[in-house]
Amino acid sequence: MSRQSKIKKQVLRSVYEDNAGIQRTGLGKRQPRAMETEHRTASRSMTILIVLLGITALTGINFRLIKVDSSGPVAMQMDDRQFQQYLNNPLFWASSHEGDNVSSDLDPFHVSVDDENSLVHYEDMIAGLGVPMAELFSLKVRTIVIDPGHGGIDPGATGRQGLMEKDVALDIAKKLQDKLEKTGNYRVILTREEDKKVYLKERVAFAKDIRADLFISIHINSLPEEAADLNYVETYYFGPHTDKRSLELAQKENHDSDFAMGDFREIIAKIGDTLKTEESRDLANAIHRRLYSGLRSHNNELIDAGTKTGPYMVLLGVEVPSVLVEISCISNIAEETRLSKPRYRDSVAAFLKTGIVEYLEHRGNRRSIIGGRAEYVAKQER
Amino acid sequence: MSPSKKDDMLYIGIDLGTSRSVVSASNGNRKWVESYVGWPKDFVAKKMFGKRVLFGSEALEHRLALNLSRPLQNGVLKEGTEQDGAAVEELIGHLIGMADVDADREVCVAVGVPAEALKVNKIAIKNAIANHAKKLMVVSEPFSVAYGLGALDNSMIIDIGAGTVDFCIMHGTVPLEEDQRSLLMAGDYVDKQLLKMLSEKHPEADFSLNMVRRMKEKHGFVGASKRRVKIEAPVDGIFTEFDITEEMRKACESPMPAIVETTIGLIAGFDPEFQENVRNNIIVAGGGSQISGLDTYLTESTKQFEPCTFTCISDPLYAGADGALELANDMPGEFLEKL
Repeated sequence: MSRQSKIKKQVLRSVYEDNAGIQRTGLGKRQPRAMETEHRTASRSMTILIVLLGITALTGINFRLIKVDSSGPVAMQMDDRQFQQYLNNPLFWASSHEGDNVSSDLDPFHVSVDDENSLVHYEDMIAGLGVPMAELFSLKVRTIVIDPGHGGIDPGATGRQGLMEKDVALDIAKKLQDKLEKTGNYRVILTREEDKKVYLKERVAFAKDIRADLFISIHINSLPEEAADLNYVETYYFGPHTDKRSLELAQKENHDSDFAMGDFREIIAKIGDTLKTEESRDLANAIHRRLYSGLRSHNNELIDAGTKTGPYMVLLGVEVPSVLVEISCISNIAEETRLSKPRYRDSVAAFLKTGIVEYLEHRGNRRSIIGGRAEYVAKQER
Repeated sequence: MSPSKKDDMLYIGIDLGTSRSVVSASNGNRKWVESYVGWPKDFVAKKMFGKRVLFGSEALEHRLALNLSRPLQNGVLKEGTEQDGAAVEELIGHLIGMADVDADREVCVAVGVPAEALKVNKIAIKNAIANHAKKLMVVSEPFSVAYGLGALDNSMIIDIGAGTVDFCIMHGTVPLEEDQRSLLMAGDYVDKQLLKMLSEKHPEADFSLNMVRRMKEKHGFVGASKRRVKIEAPVDGIFTEFDITEEMRKACESPMPAIVETTIGLIAGFDPEFQENVRNNIIVAGGGSQISGLDTYLTESTKQFEPCTFTCISDPLYAGADGALELANDMPGEFLEKL
């Protein structure tokens, strides 16, 4: 049989196995690499979570997972043999009330059963993972939604020279879309592409419909007349307000949201979404760092108001990492003049893009679970 | 003794693309349709068309009276909408129908889909096909192209489609995840860039996305131009001539740096012993491969890194469907039995 025929036969078998859902074994030249193994590890972790939830639901017994070694993410530092033993370990699957305070080298999570306290302590388990949840489950970002604030009959803030927040936000959003699309890695979609009114509820529904992975809302700040000489940049992700002004600003941006109380109750239940909060915080920090340092080169007096949490409806409703950027203050005349210039708006978009890309790249480069595990195993072998 | 293949079975290869879908059958039928599916919006439209569903250019032409779907926009099924799942099912049924299948004849279908859709929507796509064929396989488009060309070992396929550019290194088996990449800067992206440039340069003229897509398909080029690109567009209702040579070049070249970078990066991750073989065997397929001067441009662009040789295939429209047909045809009876 010629080499080409052999290869063809091998390929046909792989296509068959791939389509019949059969696990391939050693057909390829190379063994599955880190990415596949990482997915498997994430699946195992997910299985553990599901099994725990199932046992909790069926037996009414609540598990508390406590990290034995507080120095690091020990649970992630096991080789396959240890992992299997760990899964097989009856202590892990303890279903009686006798398992309190058990620990062993093979049992990096301590499992305790708590029937007095009816609360499920999953937060302990999540905290004990020691890695961001997005990495744990290998979640990837493909679709980015840019949300230019206001629009149509709602101009947002208006500068003293007549420049309107809705127009500046839209132009920066379009420029940002263009820059992100040029990387070739992301689908970037705007919640509005023209000067029209879009209710906050519609913006949230849109992000859900197109399965957004990241949501970035763009706004321009405005201060009362007595503070019109000030100019600052601040970036928000969802959380309780940190000061009175943050609350006032959120009230302003939430105005006319078109959310009913029923919607509000439903979305308020999502507060405490660990994955969204930690990723939103990281995204806000990355964007803010770049935006402030970039804008500072245009304006020495720019104030860094920092990254904050605020009760923005649009951030709460969206189910993925989301931030609201208040780029600068249109109430400051010099800043309004700068914002009216296309080149300045292009620079703003470039700073935002750099921050977003840095967040995404940093996210990919963070030491993954499997990376940590491999490093640990290598250390043990040395 | 392994089960033999049934003589009366009809083998069908389908290339389910973002922009065009193509069918190639063992009875010699080869046809294509634009990947649009439309359902009449109301009973008036239903009565007017006399059809439950319309496809391709007919659907596009009557889009105002239809609920129109382009189900594989951006290279993946737009998840979450029932309409897009139904559109894939209708489209597959239509393509199988175009192959003129006898009602009593058993059908074996192999479908090539954008690489990203295979990763994200494999089950949904399989379910959509399952209603039309008992024996079915789903593979990635670049893989079906590679199979049809016999480029199964130490080669790279770059499939430039409308929604995605799919890269795939072949090494004698179904490509693994690390052998593949997808870029979203594909045909649709080029169209948008061209429309933007033309609208900025000639704000007085009316250009639409469909118009610039047709211009690109007819005049698209990269590198040095041999002739000027002149087109006509309406200005206040009067057709006026415009020279769009520079805009066309810029738009068509806009995804090239990303394509070159991805090619180099993907090869760099391959077994070093075989990298040179792959570098000299890069095949460019898909509608985008018809852009004039593409192979020379890409070959020149990689000279500053590790030199690569790019070859554009001669029949990009049917290459994926023909490859899928060959795959279905070659599948041994013992495997077909169990599929």
